[in-house]
Amino acid sequence: MMDFSQIVPALPALADGMVLTLKLLAMSVAGGVVLGTLLALARLSSLPLLSGLAKFYVNYFRSIPLLLVISWFYLVVPLIYTWLTGSFEPVGAFTSCLVAFVMFEAAYFSEIVRAGIQSIPKGQVNAGYALGMRYDQVMRLIVLPQAFRKMTPLLLQQSIILFQDTSLVYAVGLLDFLNAARSKGDIVGLPHEFLIFAGAVYFVISMGATQLVKRLQKRFAV
Amino acid sequence: MTAMIQLSNVSKWYGSFQVLTDCTTQVAKGEVVVVCGPSGSGKSTLIKCVNALEPFQKGTVLVDGISVGDPKTDLPKLRSRVGMVFQHFELFPHLSITENLAIAQMKVLGRSRDEAHERGLKYLDRVGLKAQAAKFPGQLSGGQQQRVAIARALSMDPIAMLFDEPTSALDPEMINEVLDVMTGLAHEGMTMMCVTHEMGFARRVADRVIFMDQGHIVEDCTKEEFFGAPRGERAQQFLSKILQH
Ligand SMILES: Nc1ncnc2c1ncn2[C@@H]1O[C@H](COP(=O)(O)OP(=O)(O)O)[C@@H](O)[C@H]1O
Ligand SMILES: [Mg+2]
Repeated sequence: MMDFSQIVPALPALADGMVLTLKLLAMSVAGGVVLGTLLALARLSSLPLLSGLAKFYVNYFRSIPLLLVISWFYLVVPLIYTWLTGSFEPVGAFTSCLVAFVMFEAAYFSEIVRAGIQSIPKGQVNAGYALGMRYDQVMRLIVLPQAFRKMTPLLLQQSIILFQDTSLVYAVGLLDFLNAARSKGDIVGLPHEFLIFAGAVYFVISMGATQLVKRLQKRFAV
Repeated sequence: MTAMIQLSNVSKWYGSFQVLTDCTTQVAKGEVVVVCGPSGSGKSTLIKCVNALEPFQKGTVLVDGISVGDPKTDLPKLRSRVGMVFQHFELFPHLSITENLAIAQMKVLGRSRDEAHERGLKYLDRVGLKAQAAKFPGQLSGGQQQRVAIARALSMDPIAMLFDEPTSALDPEMINEVLDVMTGLAHEGMTMMCVTHEMGFARRVADRVIFMDQGHIVEDCTKEEFFGAPRGERAQQFLSKILQH
């Protein structure tokens, strides 16, 4: 017989795990969208070197597993931090993971942003220039606001995937929601119950968010 | 007469395809010049060379004495002084009409929000659309959107206005409301270069008519000469075709 009653006393610890998951998610999405937007602009630049570098970056990170990036940054980020600042203060696993997610997700977000920018008619760009705007103003005031509106459903979809992928931080020992559930389950000797519960929570959140995206898609389609 | 816009031997290529060949013409201060010609003849490209939306490889373009092709020219500043109206209006769909009118005044000219809104409203009133200020472009008809686009350009206090087929995307019943606004502008002495096939408008307000064919300016004469007896065969064919409508 399954015994789910032991989950109740473990809820505070699980909630801590969920907070870490959501914090990592929110910061990764924010950083990934910013870096992804810069990559998209570089990729669309008329300077061959800049667009070549951006293209290489995107293709590189889309060709390697996220787990590898996480493990690799866990080792490398502290070294770079020491090299940059000269300080040997230890860099936490959270920071390493955040850097890994931002850099990895930026590759995916940049492809979404690039498609979004390209979907804005050239006439809008010309209208901005004709009014005397500079490149950065045309992008910031005219193109990106329209592009982001169109892209919101896709960006959310990618964020839902990232929500699930944050569980990979178990590899470097971070106590995210899944890892918290697993370790708690092991401690009380009910691993199956805790994993089933964790699965249900991921399912409800992801499905809820997906429904939201579908609704947004309908609204933005008008 | 001093030329507000002066094009001298302008040539432009897309790859190996030559879009413009040795185009020379000028628009004097206060003059209204209509540019016409078959589709694909290079009218849009020519007019976009005036405010450097299209680069050109040979020749010079001067606007108010400033060389457009000179790498040292501050192009954003030059463009901010030349109004442009597009075939597809190109209002910014994510901004209200008021914001459409104000954004470049604030971000490019550095005007305060209040001043930009006040000026925008003044020109919106001029094109008869003051009541629409709070709406978004998608809520207006094509003719209304084009009038807002004209007001947006005017609120930058341009020294000249460029029009690229401003009425050809409009339903017939909306063409006149836009042409009326343009006619009013012409009568006030605005310097205008208009790509249009509205020959009635050309007859009424143009000082000169330019006819283009395959990247060449093949006619450049007063409207009396143009409508009296256009010299070239191509221009005659073109005129008889569009006057049939
Ligand atoms: N970006 C481009 N690349 C290649 N050819 C172009 C481009 N834009 C316009 N053209 C060509 O240049 C010619 C002139 O175009 P355009 O100036 O738009 O003509 P018009 O406005 O008189 O119809 C056309 O043959 C068109 O196909
Ligand atoms: Mg054209």
